[in-house]
Amino acid sequence: MRSETSSFNFPFSHIYVEEEIRDHELTKSILSRFSKSVEIPIRHYKDVFNRPHQSFRLQKNSPSLILAKSKGSHIYKGAPVCQDFGFDHFYYTSSVMNCIFDCEYCYLRGMYGSGNVVVFVNLEDTFSELEELLKLHPVYLCISFDTDLIGLESLTGFVDRWVEFTRTHENLTIEIRTKSFRKDIYDKTPSCERVIFAYTISPQAIIDKFEKRTASLTERLVAASRAIEKGFTVRLCFDPVIYTKNWKDLYSSMFLEVIKYIDGHQLKDVSIGSFRISAEYIKKLRSDFPASEICQFPYENRGGYMQYPQELQNEMEKHVFTLLQSFISEDKIYMTDYREKA
Amino acid sequence: MLFIVCALHCEARPVIEALGLKRDSTSNAFEIYSSDRYCLIVSGMGVINASSAVTYLLTKNLFDNHTDMLINFGSCAGKEPGLYLINKITDSATGRDYYPDLLYDLSSYGLPITSERALVTSYKVVSGLEDPDKLYEMEAAAVFSAASRFVSPHRMVFLKFVSDQGVDDPKEITPEFLTACASTYTPALLEVFRALSLMVEPVTRFDEELFRKTCEELRASKTMTHQIRALFTYAEVSGQDLAALLSSLHEEGKLPARSKREGKVVLDEIRNQLL
Repeated sequence: MRSETSSFNFPFSHIYVEEEIRDHELTKSILSRFSKSVEIPIRHYKDVFNRPHQSFRLQKNSPSLILAKSKGSHIYKGAPVCQDFGFDHFYYTSSVMNCIFDCEYCYLRGMYGSGNVVVFVNLEDTFSELEELLKLHPVYLCISFDTDLIGLESLTGFVDRWVEFTRTHENLTIEIRTKSFRKDIYDKTPSCERVIFAYTISPQAIIDKFEKRTASLTERLVAASRAIEKGFTVRLCFDPVIYTKNWKDLYSSMFLEVIKYIDGHQLKDVSIGSFRISAEYIKKLRSDFPASEICQFPYENRGGYMQYPQELQNEMEKHVFTLLQSFISEDKIYMTDYREKA
Repeated sequence: MLFIVCALHCEARPVIEALGLKRDSTSNAFEIYSSDRYCLIVSGMGVINASSAVTYLLTKNLFDNHTDMLINFGSCAGKEPGLYLINKITDSATGRDYYPDLLYDLSSYGLPITSERALVTSYKVVSGLEDPDKLYEMEAAAVFSAASRFVSPHRMVFLKFVSDQGVDDPKEITPEFLTACASTYTPALLEVFRALSLMVEPVTRFDEELFRKTCEELRASKTMTHQIRALFTYAEVSGQDLAALLSSLHEEGKLPARSKREGKVVLDEIRNQLL
């Protein structure tokens, strides 16, 4: 943006509130924290979130907050590109759409037409649906796929509620994926080993360049270490592995940082996956982010997913795998097997 | 370019004069006044006129969502006088709501977020304020609806000044009165226009001539042309000197390729060098 007035409104300067949930306790609690914001009543979140021709990129500079009620089913079967870590009943749920962080490679940029953040305040309805599902079979549920719930914890309190719910439902395991620095959660919340905190781990140079507003590598490792210390289950996700000219050096250096803070034997497992994205999503990303190196990379379309050239992909994943072999037993290293599922 | 839609000539006149806009003699359907940076259309009152004018304006001029802005400016009924930025527009006939994206902080131009209001587009002149917290006028919903096929919601700005609190007889609002009201807010409007005209988003562009020449020299098929375009874009955004690379391939005698097969081999080499 070339402009002497290029200052954007502050994040959540505008809060759109569905009339139906205006009196919900969480709505009132969230609104009370934003006394300087403008509240705009809406009938349905899609009236704002699904407008045509929105600029995801610019909205990230001044995201609006949308408070809404999730209707219909809240729990979905996992997609083939997601690792299921050997669980048969692998699901995900989205109590929040979009994220306060701004990762350049994020699939949400291709999936959603808007960079605004939607919080579905009626988490209790998701719990009810999940209780019905749990009567049928055990469930492995990712609750932080389409957002970073820890990053939004001070606003929603959802992580705390999910941990409590999981503690009281024995055949439920949840995964909370994050790039947040927050570690106070582990001090406040009683631990539960069926709650997996999954930290995305990237070299600092990759974080600086492509994962804006997220915690530094050290902050993530310190937070993960605190989680382990407090008795939570932790997974490290070397996913996505991102290509740059000096990727090999970056990932090797990163590994030295990882072993400074984390004892691999205390981890539940690790995952490795090079960057990949749906071919449909990349079209939108390339159009919306014309100056993004990561979006404009000449990927190969294999099975409907844009991926690094096969040889490069193998080399990258093998390199990270080799680094991790000395850190954790091989049976705890999950490689992305989306190519077979896709 | 700033495209401005205004219902009445009497509302637009102070802006036309202040910006030194000239009448476009090629436009017969609507009055259009323009300069090298502004293009103002007088739509006439009501939703049909407004949607027709917007469609006419945006098909006559190709709207660029990276550089252009569409502004709907005009009078409205409201509780208190002032210039307002609109954050929600309700079409009173259909009940449908429209939401311009308010990304930019215009507080230093006299439009803090406290100046934002919800607006109702009515199909007739309102005689009172059904909701005193809202503003009432007769075009904005149609402007938004028609423009949304072409224009991003963050590139639409609705600026309304309050001229009255609703009247029983529309004739009470004379053209002279509206011109006087518009004149009051013209200095503030010009400041906002200046701010909006600077909001230009960067676009990645590479050397199209070099791209075309490279496609020819590689004897590129359609698929290869797509791949070459992707490589040109990647080289540009990753800060690599593709022109120098192509030049060295010329010196080595690899370009131009003698066959499509040879072109494919050279294209692979270009890709490998860039990655």
